[in-house]
Amino acid sequence: MAHQSVPPIRQTPRTKNKWQRQMWVGWLFVAPAIGLNLLFDWYPMMDGIYRSFYRWDGYSTAVYVGLENFRKIFSDTIFWTAVTNMLFFLVMSIILMIPTIITSVILFRIRHMRAQYIYRVLFCIPMVVPWMVIILMWQFMYNPQYGLFNRFIELIGMPDMQQTWLGDSELVKWCLVFMGFPFVTTNAALIYLGGLKSVSESVWEAGALDGVGPLQKFFYLELPLITGQFSLNLIGTITAAITGYTTQLVLTKGGPGFASMVPGLYMYFSAFKSQKYGYASALGMVMFVLSLVITLLSLKFFQKEESES
Amino acid sequence: MSINFSKIVRPSYTIAEFAKHVVIVLVCVALLFPLFLMIVMSVKDKEQVVFSFFTIQPPFHFENYLVAFSYISPFIMNSVWMAIGSTVLTVGVTALAGYAFGKLEFPFKNVLFWILFAKMMLPGIMNLIPSFTLAWKLGILDTSLPVILFCAGTSQPFWVFVMRTFVAQQPQELFESMRIDGANELQIFRYLAIPLLRPMLALMSINVFVSVWNDYIWPLVTIQSFDKRPLTVGLAYLTSAHPGDYGMLTAGYVIAALPLLVLFFISMKQFIEGLTAGAIKL
Repeated sequence: MAHQSVPPIRQTPRTKNKWQRQMWVGWLFVAPAIGLNLLFDWYPMMDGIYRSFYRWDGYSTAVYVGLENFRKIFSDTIFWTAVTNMLFFLVMSIILMIPTIITSVILFRIRHMRAQYIYRVLFCIPMVVPWMVIILMWQFMYNPQYGLFNRFIELIGMPDMQQTWLGDSELVKWCLVFMGFPFVTTNAALIYLGGLKSVSESVWEAGALDGVGPLQKFFYLELPLITGQFSLNLIGTITAAITGYTTQLVLTKGGPGFASMVPGLYMYFSAFKSQKYGYASALGMVMFVLSLVITLLSLKFFQKEESES
Repeated sequence: MSINFSKIVRPSYTIAEFAKHVVIVLVCVALLFPLFLMIVMSVKDKEQVVFSFFTIQPPFHFENYLVAFSYISPFIMNSVWMAIGSTVLTVGVTALAGYAFGKLEFPFKNVLFWILFAKMMLPGIMNLIPSFTLAWKLGILDTSLPVILFCAGTSQPFWVFVMRTFVAQQPQELFESMRIDGANELQIFRYLAIPLLRPMLALMSINVFVSVWNDYIWPLVTIQSFDKRPLTVGLAYLTSAHPGDYGMLTAGYVIAALPLLVLFFISMKQFIEGLTAGAIKL
């Protein structure tokens, strides 16, 4: 109660002190985060934009070349092959978001709560297994000599059907897509499930009273209710398809030939194999703009859809 | 009771219910099949991998695990240090900033927040090459520092955002009462904010840890020495260095998968609840 006896005239400097104290404390508290972000996130991005106007091998002095890197990119046949492949992966990964949605709705509709919990636990397992292990197991399954698929084809007595899988320029893209089998992204499924579970019970009861059938329930209740989570996942999927290349780097190195080359991998090779840092930065910038534009467009589309419905 | 009732009235419900279970079980089987195959293969020697691919029969070659462990244990240790270092630094920095943005008033607060928020919306694809040259200029290549520092720099915008929202939802009176009691801001942070934030900090720790544990390209680029490589890079290297020796390799994959699986089964409840809670906040 001591502070009540303080004469009112001292209130002003006290609050001012408090304000000043908070000011310094606030800056001190956010300084590490802002500092790390500026140095290790903003600075590289800005540096990348700057480098994309230069020709630089990483050692000698960089030469300013204006827009020449970009002009080269647009007449680079490897780049256009990579973009075509990337569009294929992009379309496939968007289509293959559907099984995840259906699975999460089915999981949500399971009445037996104990069983549902067990399924959720099983869904978590692929998330905690290092993702490199999954990639390498698929590499093993595709292996022409030792792998599961060719051994199975041999077992059922059709050795002519054996393939080189990842070594076949016609099949390689389909093989990379099929690696997602059964095309259920478990963390996305659990996010949808969380979204559906957060909806109040009365919505489902109202639906049941109106005698809504299972398909109608899917299209008129469940699907609209997870639009928010879906658009978030969609942005993630689009960004990953445009800029991702780890799977290709581990499994195919973009090959055979350039059959599975994607722009991200081409950027990686331009920098760390051919030492064309300026060109690689320009490639990075093209992808940066592309994924930003597509993300913004799809967000806009979804907001429009939402306001119309 | 209601379930029993509906079963009696409309028997078709049970068939539909059964079909749902079948679909989900099939999905689970397909999801876990590569892991099953991995365990089956891990006890075979080179000949068994070729000649008895689809059968499991003795002799079981458990020595695969010993051989694989001798290769993989250094990689696991490297990954553990990298992941712990990144998690501690990122979570610490994020908790401080998230608290300050959520509960303190200071000049330029919005400008500073926008620095982080804008970076959250921008794709990170530009960063790889300039980040590499930055790490090179700083002279930290071939150590675990690039992984730790760049993780703390790039992964926190999203988490500061989540943390700020969470802090702002906490009742202001709690913080005011501690202030009136004469606690300084650091004490308030230590004894009030940290305990309040604990579920969020746990969720974030798991996410940052797993993402560093799975990171491949960045450590591949920045770490040249063989003995300093993390698990992901080490596994990919081992696979290309021992073609055909799939008994030993799959044993290695099993060992590589174990640490996180064990951690998951220990903290299963928090993990699943955190996942759902995090989803609702989105």
